[in-house]
This record gives sequence, C-alpha cells and structure tokens, in this order.
Amino acid sequence: MNGLKLNENYDKFKHGMELMLKPPEFSVATTPSEIIYTEDKMKLIHYIPAVAKTHPVPILIVYALVNRYYILDLQPDKSVIKKLLEEGFDVYVIDWGYPSGADRYLTLDDYVNGYLHNSVENIKERCGLDKITLLGVCQGGTFSIMYSALHPENVQNLVTLVAPVNFDSNKGILNLWAKGLDVDKIVDYYGIVPGDFLNSAFLLLDPLRLMIDKYVGMFDRIECNPDDETASIRNEEYIQNFLRMEKWIFDSPDQAGETFRQFMKDCYQKNLLIKNELNLNGKIVNLKNITMPVLNVMAEFDHLVPNDASIPLADAISSSDKDTLVFPTGHIGIFVGSKSQKEVCPKIAAWLKPRSNPNGKGDEKPGSGNEEKTESAKENMKEQRKQIRRARVNKK
Amino acid sequence: MERSNFESTHEFYDQWINMYTATMSKLVEMPAVGPAREKSEKMMKGFSTFVNLCAAGMDTSSNFQKVFMEAMQKVQEKIAADMDGEVSPEKYKEFYDVWIQTYSETFKDFAKSGHFVSDLGKLNAHLMDFQKYNRDMLEENYLKPMNLPTKTEIDEINKELYTLKKTVKELTRQIKELNENK
Repeated sequence: MNGLKLNENYDKFKHGMELMLKPPEFSVATTPSEIIYTEDKMKLIHYIPAVAKTHPVPILIVYALVNRYYILDLQPDKSVIKKLLEEGFDVYVIDWGYPSGADRYLTLDDYVNGYLHNSVENIKERCGLDKITLLGVCQGGTFSIMYSALHPENVQNLVTLVAPVNFDSNKGILNLWAKGLDVDKIVDYYGIVPGDFLNSAFLLLDPLRLMIDKYVGMFDRIECNPDDETASIRNEEYIQNFLRMEKWIFDSPDQAGETFRQFMKDCYQKNLLIKNELNLNGKIVNLKNITMPVLNVMAEFDHLVPNDASIPLADAISSSDKDTLVFPTGHIGIFVGSKSQKEVCPKIAAWLKPRSNPNGKGDEKPGSGNEEKTESAKENMKEQRKQIRRARVNKK
Repeated sequence: MERSNFESTHEFYDQWINMYTATMSKLVEMPAVGPAREKSEKMMKGFSTFVNLCAAGMDTSSNFQKVFMEAMQKVQEKIAADMDGEVSPEKYKEFYDVWIQTYSETFKDFAKSGHFVSDLGKLNAHLMDFQKYNRDMLEENYLKPMNLPTKTEIDEINKELYTLKKTVKELTRQIKELNENK
C-alpha cells in the first residue's frame, strides 16, 4: 500500500514534469478587439460586440495600474468581458501599458483627468452620447470614483468592483504595511517603482502558500491514469489554466513614481479620498458630487481590499440609486472563480440593463417581452438589499 | 519557555550597535579637512548608512527566526503523537499539510503585528538610503569623471520631457476647442 502511494506521487511528479517540459500552448485576452485610441503608453481597447444591437450606453472598464487588465479576459470560459458582451453590452477597456523611465513624473491627475478623461471623451464622441458607464476594478475602481466625483456629467452609471475608498482599515494587511512605509524614499530611489518590488510585497502576504504550496498543489492535481485519455486532456487544460494565472500574477508593470507616491501617501496613509480632501492638481475630489446610479461590488473574503475599505462608499456619495453586492469569493476569484460567470457578471448585467438608456428611462421597452426581465431585475434588487444587510452585519 | 538563542543574538546585535555608535561612528562622522574634504565627507557617510541597514537587517532576521522557531514548535506539538510508529506516505502528506498550515498561519499573524510593520518600514527605508548612496557614489566617482550620463541627468531630461508633453497636450486641447468654436 505504501509502495503504491509512493509510486503514485512519483507518477504525478513525473507527469507534471513531462507536461512542463513540453508546456501546452496558451493565450490570454483572446476576445476579439480593436485599439481605437492611444495616448503615450495607454491604449483604449474596444471589444467587438457579440450582439447585433447593443444596449445604448457603453461600458468603459478601468483596471488597476498594478497587474494587467486581461484578468478580466483570462480565457474564453473565464472572461468577464466576454460575458458582458454576451449580455449585450458595448465594452471598452483601458490598457495602461508598461510605464518606463519617461513616465516617472506622471501624476494621479494625469491618469484620472488625463488618460481616463480622454478615453471617456473619445467613447462619448464615437457613440454620440453625453454619458457612459464606468466599471472600475480594484485601484481602477478608486480612479473611477475620483473621476465620477470630478466629472459627474460624463458618467451615466458607476460600477465599482473590489475597489477601496476607505483606506483606514486594519483588516487588510496591505493597509497596515502601507502605514509603516517611507514612500518618499522608495520613489526617490526608484523613480519608476518596479513591478517586482510590489510583487514581493504580495508574495510576503502568505509566502509559504504562494511560493511553495501553490506549486505542490499543481503537481498534486495531476491525474495519472494511463488508460484514461480524458485524464490527459484534463491535465493539459489544468496546466494551461495554471500557466495563464501564473503569467498574469507576475506580469506586473512598473509604477509611475509620482502616482505611486500620491496614491500611497494621500490614500493609504492619510485616507484623504473618503474625507473629501484629495487634491488632484488643484481640484478637490468631493464624493458628494457623485449623484449617478452606483453599484458597489465586493468579495467577502477579499484579503487585498477588505469589505471595510469599500462599504463606506455608499454613505459618502449623494446618489439615491445605489446598491451593494457581496459575493462569497476572494479578490481574484470574483473575476475568474466559478461564481464569476454564474453570479457576478449576470447580476452586474441585470443591474446595468435597466440603467443603460441615454435618457435614463430604462433600456427595456414594455410589450417587448422584457417584462419578465424587469421582474427579474426587481428580484435582483431584493437580493441585493439582503446582501447589503449582510455586508452591514459583517461590518459590525 | 527557556531563553532562546535568538534573544542572545539580539542582545549581541544591540551591543555591537551600541559599541559602534560610541566608537567607530564618531570617527567616520568626523568632519573631513583638506582639498578632498567634500568627497571624503560624502564617502564616509556611507559607513553609517551601511551600519543602519545591517542593524535593521539583523532585527528583521532575528524576528523572522523567532517566528519560524515558534512555528516549528507548534508543528512539533501537533504531530508528536501522529509520527510515532510506522511513518507511511499518507503521514508524510499529513505532515506536509500540518507544516504548511501552521507556518502559514503563524507567519500571517506575525505579518499583521505592529512589530513586523515597523521592521519592514525600517528595513525598507535603510535599504533605499543605502542603494541611493551607492548610486550617488557611482555617479560622483565613476560616471561623471568618465563623462558618462548619470541617472540624475536622465531624470532631469525626463522631467523636462514630461512638462513639454503636458504643455503640448494642453495647447492641442485649446486649439481643438478654438476650432470647434469657430
């Protein structure tokens, strides 16, 4: 029995090594798209719609500067973007690119009032609309909140996904660490803060799991039944998925120094955003200017952006139409986990659909067979209210 | 718990630093004189920067050792009974699971502590000081005499470039607005 078990472990390791020696080809960000605008290193990507007639108001997805936007389009069966296209939306994404030495002086203002603003203007012009929907993810969510407060006239709906707004939380390890960092020294030395520097901090969050157990687990999941051909297909798919995620995790762009300095000091250390004291090149970001419909989406087990950091958004803004959704998943699982395609994307789509009309009167027309959908939207709202209560209980 | 080796190591480091501060540091921080005083004074500052980094490194490493020792003791307590008798491969797997879980949890607790936050902040600040000092010395003593471009000069150009780009963007925007209003 012991010998058999040892043999099985050896086989798993051998099969795993064989697969890694001839790694299966894999690709990321495969949803068809076109680049419609570039500015410096930033690219504005437009995805080819999946339906003949899309909902009138397009969605602009704003991702974080840390890591790359394609976690939202990691693979065809785990793609938030593809799912939104299938739900009938016209989708755009900002790819911030890889900053180099020449970008070290870029500020938060350049990102929010420059690149993001120009992308919004570009989409507005292209679609002939006055407003679009912003869907901000993680730090990109924080940028979207800042933008919506400074340019509310351009934003029809704001959706924030695992986005921090209150940085004074003791539940997030990153929040604790950030308080002890001498950010000036880091930026003054590096200029452009290396992605590897930030990655080492992320690995330090749980070094044994992230540097040892993850790879042990990879070999452990290898199936070693020589008579089962489907097992080898499953192995190959598993390795492909593993490598996709591994690529994304370590594909970390460097950070423009001045932006990093202001984000860390004004947000993480002084928590100015939620206090309405954040200053972007002389313009104060007042969250009370946010009056458009807002959906705040959180991951219950988020170890990077704890729920405490996102929940206060609802009370800080003036919007009367605001909802909160909490999913029992983690910070990354909300994009690529099993719940992402089945629950997260459909619920965001259900919330957005009735609000994706330029006149703000709802996208669905009575008598067009959409009544059922409206009922379903009502059901969704009920469910959302339940989840808000759950979020509040969590907060307590 | 009996006194661990790490506390003695810590004491040794503390004594070493105190000794350095009371003796050597005064010598290296003494004002330089003579024709090369500017250069020597800058070079001598490197000693303190390096000693500060070593002290922060010693603190951090001894705290890490302490945490890993604590985790090892917890693992020993958890597996003491199980590891008696025949050790089967299943037990190795169980041992691995206990090991990874215990170390991971112990380290995560430590990472949340004020001690770790302060250690990390200090180590990082001294590391940045030391690296910046090395780069300054490299520029001062090698790149400038060889008439090669330095990082400081490239940064100046990058700043100029950034300002120019920003101005061009603003002027382009204004021209576009004026054209639209025609």
